[in-house]
Amino acid sequence: MSTAPSSKSQLAIPLHVSYIKALGENKDDLAYHLTSHLRLNAVYWGLTALCIMGHKDALDRQETIDFVMSCWDDEAGAFGAHPDHDAHMLSTLSAIQILTTHDALDRIDIPRVVEFILSLHQPSGVFAGDSFGEIDTRFTYCAVSALSLLGQLHVLDGEPMERTINYIVRCRNFDGGFGSCIGAESHAGQVFVCVAALAILDRLDEVDVETLGWWLCERQLPNGGLNGRPEKLEDVCYSFWVLSALAILDKIPWIDADKLTEFILSAQDAEGGGIADRPGDMVDVFHTLFGVAGLSLLGYPGLVDLDPVYCMPAEVIEAKGLRKPWKALERRHA
Amino acid sequence: MPSLVSASSTSLQEEPALYAERPEWNDVTPLSQYEDAAPIAPIFYSAEYKDATDYFRGIVKTGEKSERVLQLTESIIRLNPAHYSAWQYRYETLLALDSPVDVELKLMDELAVSFLKTYQVWHHRRLLLMLTRKPAPELKFIAASLKVDAKNYHTWSYRQWLLAFFNDDDLWAGELDFVDAMLTQDVRNNSAWHHRFFVVFQSGLREGETDRARIIRRELTFVKQNISLVANNPSAWNYLRGILDTKDLPYSRVEEFVRPYALTTHDSTTDLVDLENPPPPPGAQLPCPAAIEFLADIHEKEGGKDRILLASELWRSLADEHDMIRKKYWEYRIREALKRVK
Repeated sequence: MSTAPSSKSQLAIPLHVSYIKALGENKDDLAYHLTSHLRLNAVYWGLTALCIMGHKDALDRQETIDFVMSCWDDEAGAFGAHPDHDAHMLSTLSAIQILTTHDALDRIDIPRVVEFILSLHQPSGVFAGDSFGEIDTRFTYCAVSALSLLGQLHVLDGEPMERTINYIVRCRNFDGGFGSCIGAESHAGQVFVCVAALAILDRLDEVDVETLGWWLCERQLPNGGLNGRPEKLEDVCYSFWVLSALAILDKIPWIDADKLTEFILSAQDAEGGGIADRPGDMVDVFHTLFGVAGLSLLGYPGLVDLDPVYCMPAEVIEAKGLRKPWKALERRHA
Repeated sequence: MPSLVSASSTSLQEEPALYAERPEWNDVTPLSQYEDAAPIAPIFYSAEYKDATDYFRGIVKTGEKSERVLQLTESIIRLNPAHYSAWQYRYETLLALDSPVDVELKLMDELAVSFLKTYQVWHHRRLLLMLTRKPAPELKFIAASLKVDAKNYHTWSYRQWLLAFFNDDDLWAGELDFVDAMLTQDVRNNSAWHHRFFVVFQSGLREGETDRARIIRRELTFVKQNISLVANNPSAWNYLRGILDTKDLPYSRVEEFVRPYALTTHDSTTDLVDLENPPPPPGAQLPCPAAIEFLADIHEKEGGKDRILLASELWRSLADEHDMIRKKYWEYRIREALKRVK
């Protein structure tokens, strides 16, 4: 009798690759999560997941680049989420990440993008997401990461840099965590963006590593999954937000890696491919990326190394000389 | 996020006519999205959404700011509340028309209930509040939203913004009661605990709040009472820790309180009701891992070989029995502490 493990205890790479490829073929049941305001972000999620699974070429490079460029908002000098959408910080970062991964940054009008990013820098030090004015430490991360990938971080030198760091520090809460803005509750997603931004800016000295590390490992629930704040449900995306923050602080060993791995694998769709937020729910490309990213950081065999600071293939970041101190678990051999 | 496939049933329009079919929109040239690029991450449109956004692109191009634009942006928002361009343009239109903000707020009241998890709804409210400058009714509105989703991050964050931005003593005055009510509903609501910390310790000194020693005593009593209601509540233990950390108070101050929660069985030897140290509730699952951890921290902070060894035993019990999922973390604590003893 066969004792081969069920697909639930292995990462079904070929299925996930074909799931992502199929996103280009108009499948109704996948479209729920793919609205135009997320489209460019979705391309970044899909591409990065493919890279980590070792199938970067599953999506055509030129078509991808062409799509990114079609999202250029020439009035604002940055990228929208879809052609004819206004430029936004999130989609601008996604565009830069995609083009960096595909070694096509020469397509970008860098001075204009830098101008767009700087135009969103608030007096308080945080960045807005768009001219509508939404502010959130997520956008600080996007700005800092984007400038860094473009080799333009120096434009913040001096007072702008201090202001940026100062705002993040003011978002630090009594539990060591960080919120979306000053006074907001600690939340794993916000912890990631603040810690990763501080890593890029070489200011991890502002993190209370012991306390935050403890808060992060407290996110693990008995079922192995991670939640985003106390007394909330587990979700596969926290496998990335929490785990990458732990990697940056070199504290991944503090959580139970086997149980988390099991949890992520149990959220796969064994038939159609893709990963969901938790077992039994509908899959989407967002959770597929973050599940695969989490597994990579946990040393899952057969995956490519991921840089947790930039959430991009580690070798791409290393080639640009942008690697910051972080530590994932050793890659296991199958 | 609402599905784009289902037609909106919340539309105020009596007939479900597409904008393309409405004669009063004849003068606008609808513009389609550019669909020639690679069909990676495609969009599945309902005819309604495609129609509305085609007309939206049309009026954005001409720069029209009129009543019908308000109607159009409302259609789009109802179909896709995350369409940030539509929100932005709507706000600009409201300003251009000098539209009554109170009316807009009422509409937002309705939409917020359906689209609580969408940031734009809350951000739009912020913009409107900065125009009306009438924050007091918002507290009631926020409380009502929290009845639907008590831990909604945007909602709590909006309340924090409102209080800090207007910084009115009258606004702050009811907050402790409000948090108390939220915790009575659900003592495990981390957002409520966080909000209490924000109100008590992070918002400056206000009238009646200047005796900080009294405030600290009050908060310690409050959190201890809540722990004695529901012992295994990480938010409450974090809050206790937070008070002591923020005010640089020794953890040993609450040692007597913590101890019974770290025992395996209830200590029923005393009938005395100790208000300073309310005991675990009957039926509580003991020991409480957070209490074991706290007691270990107390020992560690006191220092000295004996206390460190006591701490190590407690961490050992967590690693081996009471909080095994964090075994590696507890073993790290043991190693680090023992290093200091050697």
